[in-house]
Amino acid sequence: MSDVIFQAENIVKHFGGVHAVEDVSLSVIAGSIQAIIGPNGAGKSTLFNALSGFYKCDSGKVTFKGVDITTAPIHRRIAMGMGRTFQTSSIFPNLSVYDNLLIGLQSAANLAFRFRPVDATQHKTIEEKAERLLDFVNLKASAHRPVAELAHGSQRLCEIAMSLSTDPVLVMLDEPMAGLAHAETTRVVEVIRKLHSELGLTVLFVEHNMRVVLSLAQRIMVLDRGRVLAEGTPAEISANEAVRDAYIGKEVIESV
Amino acid sequence: MRMSNRAGLIAALVLLVLLILTPQIAPLLHLAISVCTEVLLFAIAAMAVNLLIGYTGVLPFGNAAFFGLGAYGAGLTIQFWHVKFFSSIGLGVLAALIGAFLIGPFLLRRRGIYFSLLFIAFGQVFYFLAYRFTDITGGEDGMNFARPVIEGTSFSPPDGSFYYMMLGFFVLIGILFWLLVRSPFGRSLIAIKENETRARYLGLDTDRFIFVALLISAAIEGLAGACYGLSIMFADPLQLDWHQSGNFVLMTILGGSGTIFGPFIGSLIFVIGSDILSSAIPWWQIPLGALFVVCVLGFPKGILGTILDALEKRRGGFGYEARDTLHGTVASEREIQP
Amino acid sequence: MAHVAPEIFNGLILGAFFAVVAIGLSLIMNLTGTINLAHGSFMTLAGYLAFAMVSAGTNWWFALAAAPILTVIVGVAVERTLIRPLYRRDPVYSLLLTFGLSLIAEEVYRLIWGTNGVPFSPPPSLQGSVSLGFTDFPAFRLFIAGALLVIIVALVVFLQRTRLGLRLRAAVQDSEMIAALGTNTQLLYMLNFGLGILIAGVAGVLAAGLLGLNPQSGNALLMPAFVTVIVGGMGSLLGAVAGGLLIGVAISVTTLFLPAFSEIVMYILMAVILLIRPRGLFGEEGIFG
Repeated sequence: MSDVIFQAENIVKHFGGVHAVEDVSLSVIAGSIQAIIGPNGAGKSTLFNALSGFYKCDSGKVTFKGVDITTAPIHRRIAMGMGRTFQTSSIFPNLSVYDNLLIGLQSAANLAFRFRPVDATQHKTIEEKAERLLDFVNLKASAHRPVAELAHGSQRLCEIAMSLSTDPVLVMLDEPMAGLAHAETTRVVEVIRKLHSELGLTVLFVEHNMRVVLSLAQRIMVLDRGRVLAEGTPAEISANEAVRDAYIGKEVIESV
Repeated sequence: MRMSNRAGLIAALVLLVLLILTPQIAPLLHLAISVCTEVLLFAIAAMAVNLLIGYTGVLPFGNAAFFGLGAYGAGLTIQFWHVKFFSSIGLGVLAALIGAFLIGPFLLRRRGIYFSLLFIAFGQVFYFLAYRFTDITGGEDGMNFARPVIEGTSFSPPDGSFYYMMLGFFVLIGILFWLLVRSPFGRSLIAIKENETRARYLGLDTDRFIFVALLISAAIEGLAGACYGLSIMFADPLQLDWHQSGNFVLMTILGGSGTIFGPFIGSLIFVIGSDILSSAIPWWQIPLGALFVVCVLGFPKGILGTILDALEKRRGGFGYEARDTLHGTVASEREIQP
Repeated sequence: MAHVAPEIFNGLILGAFFAVVAIGLSLIMNLTGTINLAHGSFMTLAGYLAFAMVSAGTNWWFALAAAPILTVIVGVAVERTLIRPLYRRDPVYSLLLTFGLSLIAEEVYRLIWGTNGVPFSPPPSLQGSVSLGFTDFPAFRLFIAGALLVIIVALVVFLQRTRLGLRLRAAVQDSEMIAALGTNTQLLYMLNFGLGILIAGVAGVLAAGLLGLNPQSGNALLMPAFVTVIVGGMGSLLGAVAGGLLIGVAISVTTLFLPAFSEIVMYILMAVILLIRPRGLFGEEGIFG
């Protein structure tokens, strides 16, 4: 069962003269959790943004479920089953948690463009789904509070729930632990684990926190200065000399 | 949330009664009925601006182009094709929609201040067209035309009846607006206003939503403009100018963007205020400009926004409309569902 | 052809005005997100101040230097007190504020200097004409062409060669990063606004002598300057220059052959260029911006 669900071939992305991502290829196997790591400025976020359609790739090819999506607009990617989060939680700050979820749910149910109110059955389906998502990320108690009022960790969980609201098969998380306190990290790690174990989703994430990466990821890709430095299982990556030199040794000592 | 809806409904009914009685009250206040009509029509125009500023999060500083297209659309078709009352209004709306169709695709490429800059520039095209093609439009002097008769009758409504017809339009647009911002489409717009990137990553083709919002806004603006043309029986390039856009944006912000009644309050203050000032002092543009400055620095949330915020703090849960609408909607929708 | 050449030259001068105003607008817009609708009012102010000085008996050349400086003082005071509180807020507020200021300014000019405008002729040394070989050309126009060229070159050198200029450009790219590096952003904003007003002021005095001086004369250059920014590519210095000259020449030549289209032509040009190059002539590709 090594079906590749998402594949990137020879991705290049420049900014001005700076080579942010230089010829990176990547395959994500359906149902796996994979991580992209690398020191600051390695091009992780740029790669992530290029893969999710936030940036246009200068060259290269991205395929998702066998379809070429290199130039597909974002809403097409979402309709195909991609979901993502951002380094700084991207939410609707003045809306309640419930309403944040509602936007994605009505979009997924093809109701977003509707001018009349939704009918009772559709409404019930949406409400039930919202309840399930709130349960999943454990935010039921704050469902009707504006997200801006919540703690960072809860905002991040809300964002993850939002990215689930469009029924994705592949969830891309951009540094899910960024800016979180230690206790919050544990909550978010648990939810990410559940994405994989309970919902059976494919997860691709960029992360700085090595402990999180080593405990969650099945496969890891290491980027350095826009290029792939190494790829392998957590064990292989922690044993890799080049990776240690470039990155891990220092970081592990810092973060542990 | 029910509280909020009920309070809003009561306020709307009180306002409606006052507006129905206005032709009786206005003379006591030495207000011409045409000024009261102007309040209603500018309130409709400001609602169109509000849809974009308050609910979609784009800044339309060239919206008067659609207002003026409405006025010229009505005026030119009356003059050259001798169309009747409602047809001329319909054609005014059509002219505004065509304008929006033409410039919309250019505006949609950018966001933020660049969107506004493009809107100002493209809106000005229509100003210069009206200004230059003197043979047709009368150029700088504008064009006079008579208020036509209503279809199937020989009745051309005088100012008194005209006021009530405009009140009818105002109520109709108000109700449609209320329904629109509470519809799933309206929620999607609010989501785009809150965070467009996130809205995209929830599968919304945001360009399409903003384009449709722009078309709706242009149609409302065109309606207001066409009726305004019929009201004063005159169209001139200044109705298309970006200064007029600025006035509509001010009314929206002054009253409270993202609220249903805000644009009306803004229009009321603006129209009555400039009516009184311009007849009292020759340099009335100074206090008008000062109103802009005071509004921006003193009441950034607008009059209604500031009041609603204060009430919300005191009572808890009185929704500042753009803020908590979505949840409020779910509750109220449930009430009206079978 | 003989009568087209001077029109092209006049178009270049007009275009250089557009370019200079557009650069000032761009500087302010890119750094602080403010579309300064009062920009034209500052130009008019500089024109009237110079007119008042010359009327009071000072030398024209002194007025050319002093009026823009006084205008900058007014501009910086406005920026400090009124615009600064709006930097972190929605752009609608600074738009409305600068729009209100332009309304006030226009009325003030009208009260002081009258509705109809005032005659403001160039100094005697610049009156008369110069032979260019194929045609005689007014000396004042040649001087203006030279002066605008100097302003543009000086700006390019300042923004690309000096430390402060580089800092301004870096701040445009990423104001948060500059703040993190410890540059005083508020001071930078003020200097940037002052610089924008300074070139508007100089252009205002020059334009007053060439294009006339009335309460709305500066505003007449505002819309072409907006179109210049769009055509050139928002945020591009080179684009503002190229766009301004292109529009100026287009307007002049159209005025000669099809006077009715003289204003429309710049919008047609804008639409065509945006269709071919959605980001303008020299605009960089962005994501959503």
